[in-house]
Amino acid sequence: MAKLPTPQMLVASRPAFPDKSWLDTKPEFTPGSFCYPAKKETMELLHMPNPHDWDPAAEDWNLPENWEKILCDAFADRLEKHRSLKLFMDICVRCGACADKCHFFLGTNDPKNMPVLRAELLRSLYRRDYTMLGKILGKKAGARGWDMSVVKELFYYAYQCTECRRCSLFCPYGIDTAEITAIVRELLHEVGLGIHWIMDPVKNCSFTGNHLGIQPHSFVEIVEMLADDCETITGIRPKTPFNEKGHEILFITPSGDVFADPGIYTFMGYLMLFHELDLDYTFSTYASEGGNFGSFTSFNMAKKLNAKMYAEAERLGVKWILGGECGHMWRVINQYMDTYNGPSPANMEVPVSPITGTVFSNAASTKMVHIAEFTADLIRHNKLRLDPSRNDHIITTFHDSCNPARAMGLLDEPRYVLRHVCNNFVEMPENTIREQTFCCGAGSGLNTEEIMELRMRSGMPRGNALRYVQQKDGVNHMACVCAIDRATLPPLADYWAPGVTVSGLHELVGNALIMKGEGKRTMDMRQEDLPNVAEDEPEESPADAPEAQGEGQ
Amino acid sequence: MNIQEIFRSQKNDVVRLWTEAVYSTYPFETTGFLRTKRDPFGNPVAHMTREAAGTLYDAVAGEEVEIDTVKAALERFVKLRAVQTFTPSQGLGVFYLMKPLLRERILPALAAQAELDAYLTAESRLDSLALLAFDIYTAARETLAESRIKEIRNQHAQLARWAQRLEEGPSGAR
Repeated sequence: MAKLPTPQMLVASRPAFPDKSWLDTKPEFTPGSFCYPAKKETMELLHMPNPHDWDPAAEDWNLPENWEKILCDAFADRLEKHRSLKLFMDICVRCGACADKCHFFLGTNDPKNMPVLRAELLRSLYRRDYTMLGKILGKKAGARGWDMSVVKELFYYAYQCTECRRCSLFCPYGIDTAEITAIVRELLHEVGLGIHWIMDPVKNCSFTGNHLGIQPHSFVEIVEMLADDCETITGIRPKTPFNEKGHEILFITPSGDVFADPGIYTFMGYLMLFHELDLDYTFSTYASEGGNFGSFTSFNMAKKLNAKMYAEAERLGVKWILGGECGHMWRVINQYMDTYNGPSPANMEVPVSPITGTVFSNAASTKMVHIAEFTADLIRHNKLRLDPSRNDHIITTFHDSCNPARAMGLLDEPRYVLRHVCNNFVEMPENTIREQTFCCGAGSGLNTEEIMELRMRSGMPRGNALRYVQQKDGVNHMACVCAIDRATLPPLADYWAPGVTVSGLHELVGNALIMKGEGKRTMDMRQEDLPNVAEDEPEESPADAPEAQGEGQ
Repeated sequence: MNIQEIFRSQKNDVVRLWTEAVYSTYPFETTGFLRTKRDPFGNPVAHMTREAAGTLYDAVAGEEVEIDTVKAALERFVKLRAVQTFTPSQGLGVFYLMKPLLRERILPALAAQAELDAYLTAESRLDSLALLAFDIYTAARETLAESRIKEIRNQHAQLARWAQRLEEGPSGAR
């Protein structure tokens, strides 16, 4: 009789003591653990090196014959180009301060998701060719050579890092592990390895300007449809200026705000706010995307996709650019844009709010202002009429999106706005917010559905903190300032804290904003019933009643 | 000692040994971290496991526990196991790792008092709890599948709406 396995045998997923060192333990490519590969045609259209068909689950990845030389040369080239990379390779003392800071590590408990070990995957290769000890002692000094399993391992873990930089915050040397991941991804692209979810938007951005590849006329029509929705809610149809020259401001936001739920409600918030301010601005169908998936691909691709912002600002002759709620767009702007495409065109000036006169000297170099700063400044100067009770149906918390929080220090502005448009605001635990915020688990181009399972474990630390305030304080809403968050947090909340809804900051601003000449608001931005309307109704009938009484008298 | 006292006297040990058995389902290099760091947000997996362990034991021991309380405590833990790289049997099999512990720690004491019935009832309660966990596990996997569908829909929501409008023609707008 066949012997049935005992529960112990079933559960045992590893030997009591590992028989191989961690460097020799290889990942398994099971469905749900990897993203679909980029299509060959996409890579060809983008002139990416060595485009080919391949399958991450297959044994053979069909790499070009001289792949090892390509990778070694590319690595040498990057070390030459980025002094920071060389420094990051040399300087780590493996103190382990970063080890338990990664949400991927906390959710998967895979040791190679400790940022130090993830970086070590590349560092071990560096050691063999660039350090004396590694050259002499080889494996004993933690050095190793390239082989196919190493390439696979790099791919597996480079796409299990969202480049959120939480680990860098704790590194005593300030090693930016996200940049190491970025370089690994760049190297893999040299031998034609990329993922569909990143390269398809990159292609669309390259050809039509936005992630979904929506043609200009359709883009405009969709925005007009959203303006119609604003009219349904407020009785006022906000203007939707497109491609108009001679305005003061160009507004650029991630296209997810135009196409995806629930981002569209945030977009409607922008439209209403700008209309109320009678802001002198325009949208652009060319720079119709703030997001930059090129930054998850390579330095050059990021530079290329970023270029349209200044190009369009120059063509339209605007003085400065106002940017919508986006995550990595702001990291690119704040940290790389000057290097990529700076200095800004001559027609641009240091941004000054036309409503309050505030000079945004922090944006003196890039000439780009984050909308949370802009709105916070408006509220500070009492330029907006707000009714926060329209958001009384929510008890909200705020998720600091990694990039605005850690890459540009945008911590207090969104909170300031939130406190003025909502009556109920609760913070999540201290070590999960502000600079220490936990990633949504799917940034840097990992917000694709085929790895939903992976996203649920990498987003678990965030989901767990959310669940905590949900149970403790009755939180039923989470606001954020990132389009990827607006896409990735709803499933995360559905899984870890069901009942919590997600929105952008300006959706809540839109709810609370009292517009001049607006009709009585009965709906929120999602066209669902507003909470306090029922209480208003009795007031309305008394308004009729005196008249009736008057007639009686 | 009555039955309840026997169970209570062993609680700390069984809970500790069971959590350690769960930790050893993770890679060797990680187990030390799981065991040592106590912060509920800095080490959520350990926190979830400990919470589940305490509740699980109380429920097995026949303490007065509300089914909803048990469910809430197990939920986080089971949801975690449902999305980590375990097969379903590995994910939920950890519940049965409590049996050998009970047999070692509780059974002899109860047998000595001729209370085998009480012991078997406790084991049956563990079986029921594993079934309860199975419900949570399945629901979690269904949520996961639904999320994938919902996400595909949401990404193109406005595009689909716009296309519908085109099809309906200008008169049928919205």
